[in-house]
Amino acid sequence: MNKLKNITSEQKKLPESKRQFCSFQMAGHCFGVDILDVKEIIDEVVLTTIHHAPSEMLGFVNIRGHVHLVLDLRLLLNFSSKPIDESSRVLLFHPNVGESFGVMVDQIGHMIEVEESLIEYRLTDENLSGIARDFRKSELEKGVCKLKDRLLIILDASKFLSAVELKR
Amino acid sequence: MKQTGIATKIILLSCGVALLLMVVGCILVVQYEMVLLNNMTDTKIDEKEEYFFYLLHHEKKAVTQQLNKQINDLIRLMTSVDIIYAQTFEFQIQMILMHPMVIAAEFCDKKGQSFLAAWQSNKVEMATRLPDNLDIKSLHMIKKNIGIPAVEMIRLYYSIDTVRQKIISMKKKEIDEINETRTNIYKQLRGLFLAQAIGSFFVVGLLGGVLIFSLRKLILNPIQNILQVAKQLRKLDLSVDINSKHSSHELNLLSLALGELVDGFRKIIADVKENANMLSESADSMTGIAEELTSHSEDAESKASDVVEASMQISGNIHAIANNVEQISDNMDDVSSTSNFLFNNINSVANAIEELSASLSHVGERVKNGTQIAEQAVLLAQKAGKTVTILRHAADEIGGVSEFIQRIAHKTNILSLNATIEAASAGSAGRGFSVVASAIQEFAEQSSRAAKDITERIVGVQKGTSEIETAFKDVSSIIKEMNESSESISFAVTEQTKAVQEIASNALEADERARNINVSIDDLSRSVNDAAENTAQVAMGANDVSTRIQGVSESISFNRQISHQINEAAIVLNHLSGNLKCMVDPFKVSQPQKNYQKRSKK
Repeated sequence: MNKLKNITSEQKKLPESKRQFCSFQMAGHCFGVDILDVKEIIDEVVLTTIHHAPSEMLGFVNIRGHVHLVLDLRLLLNFSSKPIDESSRVLLFHPNVGESFGVMVDQIGHMIEVEESLIEYRLTDENLSGIARDFRKSELEKGVCKLKDRLLIILDASKFLSAVELKR
Repeated sequence: MKQTGIATKIILLSCGVALLLMVVGCILVVQYEMVLLNNMTDTKIDEKEEYFFYLLHHEKKAVTQQLNKQINDLIRLMTSVDIIYAQTFEFQIQMILMHPMVIAAEFCDKKGQSFLAAWQSNKVEMATRLPDNLDIKSLHMIKKNIGIPAVEMIRLYYSIDTVRQKIISMKKKEIDEINETRTNIYKQLRGLFLAQAIGSFFVVGLLGGVLIFSLRKLILNPIQNILQVAKQLRKLDLSVDINSKHSSHELNLLSLALGELVDGFRKIIADVKENANMLSESADSMTGIAEELTSHSEDAESKASDVVEASMQISGNIHAIANNVEQISDNMDDVSSTSNFLFNNINSVANAIEELSASLSHVGERVKNGTQIAEQAVLLAQKAGKTVTILRHAADEIGGVSEFIQRIAHKTNILSLNATIEAASAGSAGRGFSVVASAIQEFAEQSSRAAKDITERIVGVQKGTSEIETAFKDVSSIIKEMNESSESISFAVTEQTKAVQEIASNALEADERARNINVSIDDLSRSVNDAAENTAQVAMGANDVSTRIQGVSESISFNRQISHQINEAAIVLNHLSGNLKCMVDPFKVSQPQKNYQKRSKK
């Protein structure tokens, strides 16, 4: 399933081998996700909490009649949790990334367009054992993009839901 | 006898001279004797020397003759014998050497060579010839030709040293004897000198003692008596007895003459003494009279001077009164001028006070004006405060508006982000739209920044307006205070104006009174001037009286001076008589008891 999704996203690559990322900030660090995985950015969130759910699941949100699950990306990235404030935003993902869900971020940034050559992907070692490979699956980072003045850590949006499952 | 008299001095001196002469003579005699002795011994020694020289010569001759005789005997013996043996020669030579003076002998042949020789060292030794070490040249030699074939010549060597030594020793012995005798004689002479010295001392001492004794007995005792009399005379004691029984005639005559002289003097001095006493008594009485006179005249003078002083005092007092009256007149003039001045001053004060009252009323009006202005200022300040509060409200509203703008900017931002996302999902078809979306995003960010700026500035404005408000409140309160104080000032000024008006009326009254005083003081000054003239006339009269009294006093003092001079003359006389008495008093005319009685009578 995941492989198929990756193929579809790579087929939609820009012909000039450029890629766009939606950047955001979490606890002072700069992260980014592929803009093609993002469906929408939402402010003025009204969360409905789920009592028996794990702490990574912040609750449900109603967007124009559709209910979406919102995850706490801080907890997923092993930061400490933080209450929602004015600059907090919710990133909703495409249905091909996961079934109607989004993540809560501290502050939204710009849309960044970079050359393919500036991105360094993390290599997957095929020789690893089964348990190690499972552990690798939980790794949310896909690679690092070198910007002019800083590094942008690129996250894989399709692994967020499975990460919640693995943590449990 | 502590003080040695002239006689003893002469005696001691002459004794000393005699002793010195004796000692010197003694020393000279002894020296002469010693020189004689030395000469005698020297000539004796010379004689001895000559004698011994002669003796030595004689002895030498005798020895030579004896030896010649012996050799001649030997020659005769040899010539008388026909045959001579060698032993004979030896025997002969030994015989020759038996003589104590002969030291060596040798027999010579025809050629003069010796064939047999003998000499004395420790004992007699023989050889063909004499050894070389024998010193022949220092010895005497006798040469004889025999004339026989066997022996041609005999040489004989001898010395006379032993004889000479013997003679020299004899000579030494004799000379020593002579020297010994000389030293003995020296010793004896020294003893003689000592004996002579002691003897001369003894003789001189005896002579001196006898002389001193006789001099004291015959001359010194009478002279001592005369000296005692002279001592008493030196004390001016004429009542002395002169003893004229002396052993020597010359001294007797001297003491008699002295006694007569003393008697004459005694009589003269007694007369002088009596006269001096009388003179002194009369001078005393005169002095007393003169003193009395002086004291009386002094009394009169002192009284006169008292009167003078009193009159002077009176005159002085009257003068002082005249001066005082004049001073009063002057003072009155001063007072009159002062009162004039005072009158002028009071006049000017009254004028000044009127001016003051006028200006005070002016001040009161001004203060009222000030109060009105302050009330107006309070009203204006309150208005301004209201305006400021309105301004603050407006600023608050602007803050709300800017917040709204910021919210809109946020929304726009999210909208632009979403647009970008949509454009990206549209792929190459959405490229143009994505540019528009990014522009919108930028615009949204700018508007957000502008809204933030506005908010910050509005906060500043709000702060400023609140500060202005408080300041306006302070200003209005101050103006209120000012208003209150100016009201109190205006009240005070009105009161003061009233007081000043009262003062002005009083000053006018004072002005009039001062004028009255001035007039009356002028009258008073005129009358005082008259009084001053009258007192000056009285003072002149008093002065006249005082000068006359002074003339009287001067004549009295002249009298006193004359009496004083008399007194002084009497004192001088008294002093002179006293001096005379002092001069005469030391002479004692009679025995001490009588003298005492006379003094008591005085």
